[in-house]
Amino acid sequence: MPDTILVVVEQREGKFNRVSWETVTAGQALAAETGWTLEAAVVGGDVTNLANEVAAKKVAKVYAIQSPKLEPYTPDAFSAALKQFVESKKPKLVLMPHTYQVRDFIPKLATAMGRSAITDCIGYKTEGGKLLFTRQMFQGKFTADVSFTGDAPWFVTFQNGAFRGDKAEAGASAAPIETVNAEIADGIVRNKPQEVFKEAKQAVDLTQAEIIVSFGRGIKEQKNIELAKQLAEALGGELAASRPICDSGWLPMDRQIGSSGQTVAPKLYLALGISGAIQHIVGMKGSRTIIAINKDSEAPIFEIADYAVVGNLFDIVPPLIEEVKKAKAGS
Amino acid sequence: MLVFRKPIEGIERPQMPADVVIVGGGPAGMACALRLSQLIDDHNSKNPDSQLSKENIYVLEKAREVGQHCLSGALLDPRSMRELLPGFEKEAPLDAEVSKEAVYFLTEKSKFKFPITPPPLRDHGNYVISLNRFVKWLGSKVEETGITIFTGFAGSELLFDGPRVAGVRTDDKGVDKMNQPKSNFEPGYDLHAKVVILAEGTRGSLTKQLITKFDLAKNSNPQTYGQGIKELWEVPSGRIAPGEVIYTMGWPLTTREYGGAWIYGGRDNIVSLGFVVGLDYPDPRLDPQHVLQDFKQHPFVAKLLEGGKMTRYGAKSLPYGGWWAIPPVAGDGWMILGDSAGFLNSQRLKGIHLAIKSGMLAAETAFEALKKDDFSAAMLNRFQKKVESSWIKDELWRVRNFHQGFEHGFFAGLFHAGIQQLTGGRGLRERYPGTAGYQHMKKLAELPPDGGDEAHLLGPAKGDGKRTFDKLTDLYHSGTKHEEDQPSHLVIHDTNICNARCIKEYGNPCQNFCPANVYEMVDDAEQPNGKTISLNPSNCVHCKTCDIADPYQIITWVPPEGGGGPNYDGM
Repeated sequence: MPDTILVVVEQREGKFNRVSWETVTAGQALAAETGWTLEAAVVGGDVTNLANEVAAKKVAKVYAIQSPKLEPYTPDAFSAALKQFVESKKPKLVLMPHTYQVRDFIPKLATAMGRSAITDCIGYKTEGGKLLFTRQMFQGKFTADVSFTGDAPWFVTFQNGAFRGDKAEAGASAAPIETVNAEIADGIVRNKPQEVFKEAKQAVDLTQAEIIVSFGRGIKEQKNIELAKQLAEALGGELAASRPICDSGWLPMDRQIGSSGQTVAPKLYLALGISGAIQHIVGMKGSRTIIAINKDSEAPIFEIADYAVVGNLFDIVPPLIEEVKKAKAGS
Repeated sequence: MLVFRKPIEGIERPQMPADVVIVGGGPAGMACALRLSQLIDDHNSKNPDSQLSKENIYVLEKAREVGQHCLSGALLDPRSMRELLPGFEKEAPLDAEVSKEAVYFLTEKSKFKFPITPPPLRDHGNYVISLNRFVKWLGSKVEETGITIFTGFAGSELLFDGPRVAGVRTDDKGVDKMNQPKSNFEPGYDLHAKVVILAEGTRGSLTKQLITKFDLAKNSNPQTYGQGIKELWEVPSGRIAPGEVIYTMGWPLTTREYGGAWIYGGRDNIVSLGFVVGLDYPDPRLDPQHVLQDFKQHPFVAKLLEGGKMTRYGAKSLPYGGWWAIPPVAGDGWMILGDSAGFLNSQRLKGIHLAIKSGMLAAETAFEALKKDDFSAAMLNRFQKKVESSWIKDELWRVRNFHQGFEHGFFAGLFHAGIQQLTGGRGLRERYPGTAGYQHMKKLAELPPDGGDEAHLLGPAKGDGKRTFDKLTDLYHSGTKHEEDQPSHLVIHDTNICNARCIKEYGNPCQNFCPANVYEMVDDAEQPNGKTISLNPSNCVHCKTCDIADPYQIITWVPPEGGGGPNYDGM
């Protein structure tokens, strides 16, 4: 019986990770070169639909490895289920895409089986009948061809983009699907996954703000930020700051304006207690109207300000807030 | 909370064998690699049966691109390049051959020209170059010959095997501000090398580790340093000719400081202008960047720069100590080249040609070692002997007591220099002792509160924004950039000293001698003196001044994540 290559495709919350098609392409290429049989597996709670999708590709067989314990994803459950499966079916080569999820469980799986994993490969080659997997070293300056010295199963993951997902060949007819019930004992799964973390949408996109009230070291103490905030609210603008403020953690980094922060060009830029070092100026000099308040008459910010107010911001800003509120109430 | 960079412990690192690892892709490192390649090629063509491989010879360069961290005036004495690559003048990027020299003594408003250019400062036959461009070109020649240069990789630690240097560990990448691995974490490689060649430039961090571990400097004078601070200017046509060389002494420094300025005419109306300040000045409030701005106020310099534009800024320290401050340069598994060893002629203000020659001699030693597969101390010590019997020794021997003569002031220095000129470098005794620069720094209590004669050199420069600049504006033109989310690579061993002692004794001179505004004392009500030390490590230009000049010697500069640093295009 020829050896088998098993491609484990990735799904999350019932949706395929597209990069899995690249792994199928890789599997198909390897199968053609070695003459081994190509099979695929989907792992999850209820993956029959997904298995059907995979079966449309040119693979000999698709396994739907299922168990309620496999939803949601945990490394313990996936590792246990795949270990059981791989031990019974004994594929020679197990391929996966090098995704975050795979990185989470493949070391555990390989170690549990006493086997090696060659990860983040960008390709493969055969030399004298030996399979070599290519990995990058020194940030891509070098590549290394790595081969397995131990017994099968051999675990390999491929880097995103190493193969073309759109080149995964379709099968002449749908491949047979076998459902496998993974038996995962109680107590195996130690994690209790919470709500899937959704990348917090950036609270603010300063580049879209029309009015920005920005402050620098002149604000003196963290509690005084309240003043700048009130002004921003009164004007209907966004709050921003120069680097030292964000470095001290008084405002998050996404509110920093300057050469190591955001570059903005709003209709109105109010600079409170900002000296105007060139590193800050390059981040806001494109603003339509610049008003600067600073008690140092020689502050470089005044060179680019349209309106220069030399004075103490703590004297000027409170009445300014009142005037703005009055003006807005009146109109 | 300040967290300092430290190689992550208890992790597995990729292990890589190597024959020769050269740490540092500057003129010394590149010359070494190139010469080694030439010797191997020559050997292989004559010995088809016993080929030597270049595959396991690596150069590590912390900058993102070759040459990016190279800064110097610079004037190249072509002597060693002519040995390395005869006819190099035809293809190397040289700005101009030196056409005219002048040395001036400045007072605040006037200047006195030396009627004869002192012989050490005669530069006929030398070339005005941009070291950055020169090293880029040398680097391309090295890569052409098949030796691999790893850019963006710093040597972060030496690996030891008992008394042997066994290799180099590269920097950990993807470590966050708290020294924890990020999602893109890549551990540094452990390169196990038969010989590690340290060509890190001035005050090398691995060199410092090596010297400390084996107490190598016990029989040498302490190394002393200057800080070279430079601006590149574009001036209107006709102001200065390509190849015109000007040196100045005197103003704005007083007789208590050592240093002087250079002005070199490059091609395309580009002027290299800068000041070297000895890092042994007495007043901790002195700010070398301020000194440079003062210098530009002198009518002579102001006239030269009128209507011009400053295009680039940078700074680097340089080792002045001379022959007696050079430690042993070879040992079990290691060699030290160039500025890392201290091969610089402080009288002529030249070191590039010596760095290149030292690289060549090290290459010859490494080649002999490769042939015999013998990298023992006895074999590598041949490098020491080669240096001692080469023109490096001849040149440096003649100026062996030069800088030490200035430790008691400008006129004393001139006096000693004069006698040394007549006695082949000896002066009044065979070996003048030296003291480390930071030991000359006086406490604030011993100095006039307003700074006295030095007042105009102290504290931050304000700058007029056209001819003179404040430090932040100058710094912007260094192009320095680092990955922000990483631990501080300026390792302060006890910040309590900064906040409780130094603030009172010296007024935290790090704020002044750092040309890049890395160090700041900021308000902090919880500290005994109301202020705490705050760092902006991403501003660093890798000059090493802090490691050298801090009066308590509690700062250790280690390389930040590879790829970060200044961008010295054209410098």
